[in-house]
Amino acid sequence: MIFRVINFVVIGALVLAAAYVYRIKFDSTVQAEHLAKLRGEVRRERDRIAALRAEWGELDNPARIEILAKRFLQLKPIAPTQFDSLDRLPERPPDDARAANDDPIGGMIGNLDPPETGTIPAAQAAPAAPAAAPPEAPSGAPNPPSGAPNPPSGAPNLPSGAPNQ
Amino acid sequence: MSATAETLPIAPAEPWRRRLLRSLLYGRNSNRAAKARARIGLAIIAFAVVYGIIAVRLVMFAAVSDGRIAHRVVSGDAIATARPDILDRNGEVLATDVRVPSLYAEPRRLIDVDEAVELLTADLPDLDATELRERLSSRRGFVWLKRDITSEQQREIYHQGLPGIGFLNENKRDYPNGAEVSHLLGRVDIDNQGTAGVEKWLDNQGLAALHLAGLATDRLQTPVQLAVDLRVQHALRDELVKARDKFHAIAAAGLVLNVRTGEIVAMVSEPDYDPNIPHNPRDPGLINRLTTGVYEMGSTFKAFTVAMALDSGKVTLKSSFDAHNPLHYGKFDIHDFEPMQRSLTVPEIFTYSSNIGAARIAMAMGVDAHKAFLKKMGQLDRLRTELPESAEPIVPKRWGELNTITIAFGHGLSVAPLQAVMGVGALMNGGILIPPTFLKRSEAEAQALGHRVIKPETSAMMRYLMRLNVEKGTASKADVAGYYIGGKTGTADKVVFGRYSKTRVLTDFMAVLPADQPRYVLLIMLDEPKALPETHGFTTSGWNAVPTGGAVVARIAPLLGIEPRLDLPPADQQILASLKESR
Repeated sequence: MIFRVINFVVIGALVLAAAYVYRIKFDSTVQAEHLAKLRGEVRRERDRIAALRAEWGELDNPARIEILAKRFLQLKPIAPTQFDSLDRLPERPPDDARAANDDPIGGMIGNLDPPETGTIPAAQAAPAAPAAAPPEAPSGAPNPPSGAPNPPSGAPNLPSGAPNQ
Repeated sequence: MSATAETLPIAPAEPWRRRLLRSLLYGRNSNRAAKARARIGLAIIAFAVVYGIIAVRLVMFAAVSDGRIAHRVVSGDAIATARPDILDRNGEVLATDVRVPSLYAEPRRLIDVDEAVELLTADLPDLDATELRERLSSRRGFVWLKRDITSEQQREIYHQGLPGIGFLNENKRDYPNGAEVSHLLGRVDIDNQGTAGVEKWLDNQGLAALHLAGLATDRLQTPVQLAVDLRVQHALRDELVKARDKFHAIAAAGLVLNVRTGEIVAMVSEPDYDPNIPHNPRDPGLINRLTTGVYEMGSTFKAFTVAMALDSGKVTLKSSFDAHNPLHYGKFDIHDFEPMQRSLTVPEIFTYSSNIGAARIAMAMGVDAHKAFLKKMGQLDRLRTELPESAEPIVPKRWGELNTITIAFGHGLSVAPLQAVMGVGALMNGGILIPPTFLKRSEAEAQALGHRVIKPETSAMMRYLMRLNVEKGTASKADVAGYYIGGKTGTADKVVFGRYSKTRVLTDFMAVLPADQPRYVLLIMLDEPKALPETHGFTTSGWNAVPTGGAVVARIAPLLGIEPRLDLPPADQQILASLKESR
C-alpha cells in the first residue's frame, strides 16, 4: 500500500519535473532567439553608425569646409596680431558700474570722478566749447586756474578711453 | 558451487521429462534461477547506459542549440574581413568599414543563362556581357559577379527573382577624406587586405592572421589612433598644392614632426591619390617621396656639419674659416653661390650658406669624425617606421676626403627626407635623437626611446643659427611675425644622366618653430621648381620653398597651439643669452 502511494507521488513528481523542464527549455529558446535578434540589430545599428560616421567624415572634411567657408562666410584666417594673453585683459569694471543695467557705460562715466568734472565749469565760469577753451587760456591772465585748461582736454579722453583699454 | 546445494530440495519436484529437457538444453548442473537474476542485472546495466547516453545527449543538444541559433544569423553575410577604424589624433575618422552588398551567382542552380545575362546587364550596364556569360556558364559552385553595388541596384536585381543569384554584405574600406591622408594611410585591395602604408602595417600586426583564420568578420572594436592631425595635414597639403602649381614643380612634399615626441603630425607627398579609387599601385609618380625616395638634401646638411663642429668643442661660434677663393680638391672646384671672398665666421657660413666654409669645417674635423657623426645622427642607415615603405640611404662605398667635402654641404649622400627631419629634430630639441612614429606617443615614452647625440648647449647654438638665418640670412622670407621661426634652406642640383644639372634643382626648407622653445620641425621640399618673374629668375630654395614654408607656418601654428609672441628680441639675446646664464 505504502509502495503504491510512493509510486504515484513519484509519477506525479516526474510529470511536474518534465513540464517544468519543458517550460525552462522553451523560455530559453525564446530568449536565445531574442538575443540573436538583438545581436543582429546591434550589428546593423553599428553598421549604420559606421556609415553615418563615414558620411560625417566626408562632410566634415577640412577641404570641403574651407570651400564652403570661403563661399558663404566673411571669416578670414587668424593673424598672429589677433591673439592676446589673458593677463593683458583689463581689470573687471567696478560692481556699481555693472549694476546699472540700462546703461552700463553711462554708469561708468557717471562714476568716474564727479567732483573733477564739476569744478571745471565753475573755475572757468565760461560757457565756451572745449575746443575753444585752450586758445583762451593763454590769452587770459596767468592766474591760479591756469592748470584748469588741461583737465578739460584730458577729461573727455578719460571716459571714452577707459573702457577701451 | 553452493547453488547446487540450495536447488537440491526443488529438484525432486520436477518431472523427469522436463529435467531431461533441461539437462539437454542447459547442461546437467546449471541453475536457471541464478542465471535469470544475472541476466536481469545485465539488462538493467545495458538500459541504464542507453538512457544515460540519451540523457547526456539531451543536455548537450539543449546547451549547444542556443549557440547555433545565434550563429545562423551572422553567417548570412560578413564574409570579407573587417578592419579596425583609423582615427587621427583628435578622433576624426580617417578610415572606416562600411557594409556594401556584393552580387554573386551559383551557376549550378541557374536555369537560363541567357535570361540572367540579359537582365543583369540591364541593371548593371558596366558589366561585360561576354565575361558575365562565361562566368555563369561555368560549372562552379560560386562566382562573384560584381563587388560593391548600390542598394538601388540590389533592389532591382532582387525583384527580378533570378534563381541562383544572391547578395552578400561585405565590408568595404572607406576613406572619408579622400586624397588628403593618402600616402600615410596607404590602401587596401578588393579583399580588404592592406597593400601599403598604415593599412599594411595593421596587417603585419597580426590582423592578416586573424583574416586567414576567418575570425575578423565582425566589426573590430578598438580603433587605431594615429599621430597625424587632419587639420594640419589639410593646411599643409593645400599650401603644397598651391606651391606646386605656382612653381610648376614635378612634386612637392612636406612633413611636420613634433620634436619632443617624434610624432609625425602631418605628412604630404604631392602628387597623391584617392585611396577610395582603385588604380595602379606601381605608378612611379605616386611614390611617397618622404620615406621611399632618397635625395641629396643640399645645404640643409650644413646644419649637421656645423653641429658636429660645435659639439666637438674645437670650433666655437666665433671661429672663422677662409673662404677667399674657391676650394680646389683634385680636379674639382667648390664654389659659393654668392662668393664673399673673405674669411667667414661660423654664423656667417651658416647664414650665407657657404659651401667653401662648410667644406673647410668638415675637413678640419676629419673624415672619420664626420662619418661617425652622421652615423650617430641616423643618416647612414635605413630608417624604419610603421610604414612598410622605406629606402636605404645611398652612402658612398669608399668615403674619402672629397666625399666629406661634398657631404658637408649636402651632395654625395642621398637620404630619405624623413631621416633628415629626424636628425634636424635631434639638433633642435636639446640633442635627443627620437625615432619618428606615425602613432600617438607621449613625451615620456619618447624620452625612453631616444638617446642623446649632442650636448644641450650645441642644440641651443644650432637654434640660434637657425633663427639668425631667418632674421638676416637665406630664409628671411619665412619670417612670420609672432612665431619666432628658425630655418635652413637647401638647394641641391639634381643628377641628370649621371651629371649634376645646372637647371634642375631640388629645393628644401627645414624650419623649427618656435626657435627658442622648439616644438615642431617643418620640412618643405619642391622637386624641380621653375623660375618665375617674381622670383627674379632664381630657382633657389629661398625663393620658392621658404615662402611656402612661411605660408604653411602661418596656417598651422594656430592649429598646433603655438601662442604668437610679438616683440621678441633678436636671436642673440633670446637664445644665446639664456645659454650663457645656464653656464
